Amino acid sequence: MRGTLIFSGSSCPALTGKVCENLGMTPADAELTQFSNGETSVRILTSVREKDVFVVQSGSPKINDTIMELLIMISACKGGSASKITAVLPYFPYSRQSKKKSHRGAITARMLANLLGVAGVKHIITVDLHASQMQGFFKCPVDNLHAEPLIARWIRQNVPDWKEAVVVSKNAGGTKRVTSLADALKLNFGMVTTDKKRGNGNMTSSMVLNHIDAILDPIGEQLTDAVDAASETPAGNVTQPVAGAVAARRPNGSSLHSAKSLPSRLRSSTSALDGVDEEGDQEYNDQRAHEVTQARLVHGHIVPDDFESADVSAATSVAGDDPMTMSHASSFFAPHHAALGGSGDAAESSDEDEEILKDPKVEHMVTLVGDVKNRTVFIVDDMIDKPGSWIAAAETVVKRGLAKKVYCIATHAVFGADCLEQLQGCDCIDHILVTNSYPIPEEKARNASKLHVLDLSYLLAEAIRRNHYGESISPLFQHIVE
Amino acid sequence: MSGEMANEIKLISGRSHPELSEKVAKRLGIEVARTISLNYSNQETSFTVGESVRDEDVFIIQSTATGDVNEGLMELLIAISACRTASARRITAVIPNFPYARQDKKDKSRAPISARLVANMLQTAGANHIVTVDLHASQIQGFFSVPVDNLYAEPSFLRYIRENYKAEDCVIVSPDAGGAKRATSIADHLNTGFALIHKERPRPNVVGRMVLVGNVEDKIAILVDDMADTCGTLCKAASVLKENGAKAVLALVTHGILSGNAIENLNNSVLEALICTNTVPLGDKLERCPKIRVIDISPTIAEAIRRTHNGESVSYLFNHAPV
Repeated sequence: MRGTLIFSGSSCPALTGKVCENLGMTPADAELTQFSNGETSVRILTSVREKDVFVVQSGSPKINDTIMELLIMISACKGGSASKITAVLPYFPYSRQSKKKSHRGAITARMLANLLGVAGVKHIITVDLHASQMQGFFKCPVDNLHAEPLIARWIRQNVPDWKEAVVVSKNAGGTKRVTSLADALKLNFGMVTTDKKRGNGNMTSSMVLNHIDAILDPIGEQLTDAVDAASETPAGNVTQPVAGAVAARRPNGSSLHSAKSLPSRLRSSTSALDGVDEEGDQEYNDQRAHEVTQARLVHGHIVPDDFESADVSAATSVAGDDPMTMSHASSFFAPHHAALGGSGDAAESSDEDEEILKDPKVEHMVTLVGDVKNRTVFIVDDMIDKPGSWIAAAETVVKRGLAKKVYCIATHAVFGADCLEQLQGCDCIDHILVTNSYPIPEEKARNASKLHVLDLSYLLAEAIRRNHYGESISPLFQHIVE
Repeated sequence: MSGEMANEIKLISGRSHPELSEKVAKRLGIEVARTISLNYSNQETSFTVGESVRDEDVFIIQSTATGDVNEGLMELLIAISACRTASARRITAVIPNFPYARQDKKDKSRAPISARLVANMLQTAGANHIVTVDLHASQIQGFFSVPVDNLYAEPSFLRYIRENYKAEDCVIVSPDAGGAKRATSIADHLNTGFALIHKERPRPNVVGRMVLVGNVEDKIAILVDDMADTCGTLCKAASVLKENGAKAVLALVTHGILSGNAIENLNNSVLEALICTNTVPLGDKLERCPKIRVIDISPTIAEAIRRTHNGESVSYLFNHAPV
């Protein structure tokens, strides 16, 4: 393209090379080094006067050096009288810090947006921002491209029974991303949520139900014993239809059996208590979406229902004065730690809570909503950084939901620490699908047989071309129909 | 400082130079504010202020550790941004060693003026005031549209020379033409002689030929500069001075950056001592090089913070070093 220069940051020479190849150009000449004291040195070795300049930079393990390099490159091009400078950031750094997560925490993503502006950027091209609200942080236009059409096409071409698959979100915050892919492929979707407290005690119906349980307990317990003795259900299968599922929201996993065997008298009273909306839902909704499966997560792994945990096993009795019931009530009235952002925020990522997944003292309750039995499951999020929540979700859908195959799908393959090795080692994960928005070290990729990397260079090249010629970007958001 | 004042000094320290922050805090009789600063697994920096800074006068001390300049700079920017969003009344960035100060001009085609970029970045993050020590070029103050207090280590140097040497035995030497002004100023205050070394510098951190202008015979030659990086210049200058009959050669610098093979250069050189301030964290370099001596700059910084907070004049510090 005439009058265009594409510079590559030191983080992603390979991706930039491909982008340039697609456009029939070569990357522009720049020397990127460091002075001996650690300051970044940039030398632009070709004239940029009155040129349309694109600077491509992704993330790297030395993320702050990468950012400074980008800013200095932009500043150097601006000082060299470039007519327009566009930053092409396939992975936008600090995008997870896009809100105040704690009192007096920084909104670093906004600051970075301002820094890019002050360095001299006139346009941003990026891919799958962690929160699309971030576009509002910029004063200049932002093209937030989507990798979803590429992912959907790969699924159509490479997954044999994709029409029977289920798309699953591994945390409540990412559900929107998941429904979008599910809509594109016309698939069912499900959700896995991890709760720090045991059980999902924060719903009114289950609270009321606990009290009824207490009243009717003698009968229920006798029946449980009888049923359990007669037919020992396999511990793995606790999938239940909706009426039982509401009853299953009880302080502990083992009481699921008693819920299943509740007398029909109680079952009818349950639906009566749940009110109209519950029953109304059932009429016009896919029954499968109501399937609720629960599992216990200890040390970051799914454990059988009869797994002994020292501190909580005492609470398995369902007495009327059950302390767990009380604590549920209090947790219901005192909303939990969402005071700053709200847990329903689209930008919420379970990655931040990863550390606690590993804490042996904290036991988690994993809830799977939706039926995945004998189906292929696509677990989808925007980035893979830490492995914990992916492994937990995969184990839940395989061990509890009895899923056939699991694909972990994300745009940005950040792969912090030994994440890729852990995912590769997890028996419940069959494939990992990512893009090359974030550079993956070659030796790492070579050892990961499950890894599939989609190439974003066509998307980025097309976005650059269209930007240069002033054409519309919107066709790039559309799904490829074959 | 009276307890009734609604608005007090909050001293926040970055991770690059906690020792200096502690010394400044001790001097001011306050505690360094509680903060949480960490790197995520993908090396992104996260900074949280652990106590309220609402309507307070915030001073953030962050030097730039050698080799970790960008890390320190980003942490500083994030800390400023965190205080800004937390409704601090005024945020002063105390940057004893201003990063990228040497990239302050477009000396080649399309060379970035990174010092101006850093200035703009600090203001964008939300800094209202800058305190720094011995800027490489005073013009950098003009890159900012907020006030910049450029403190001088010179009063501390003068006191050090007077306390340790006889002024009349000394001659002050500038290792390059650009530093002549700095050296003559010290020579004037001490009423001693002055000399200059002219050098040709083909590339940064590479030293060319050197010529001495002036007389250093039988004198203690004191090389004065604003920073000692790889020490190639200083060591070569020292041997030139020795060849020209100097009794002993000392180097007096503000910022002991000491990157690359600076320690080996120093240990192998004829330099008797390198005297620097503690604007830059020195780490284990003091153990690895017995020639390094340190002047504590924290009283000057602490006094500048106190005066800035109370709205007093800072100019007193340009000529006097607090004891």
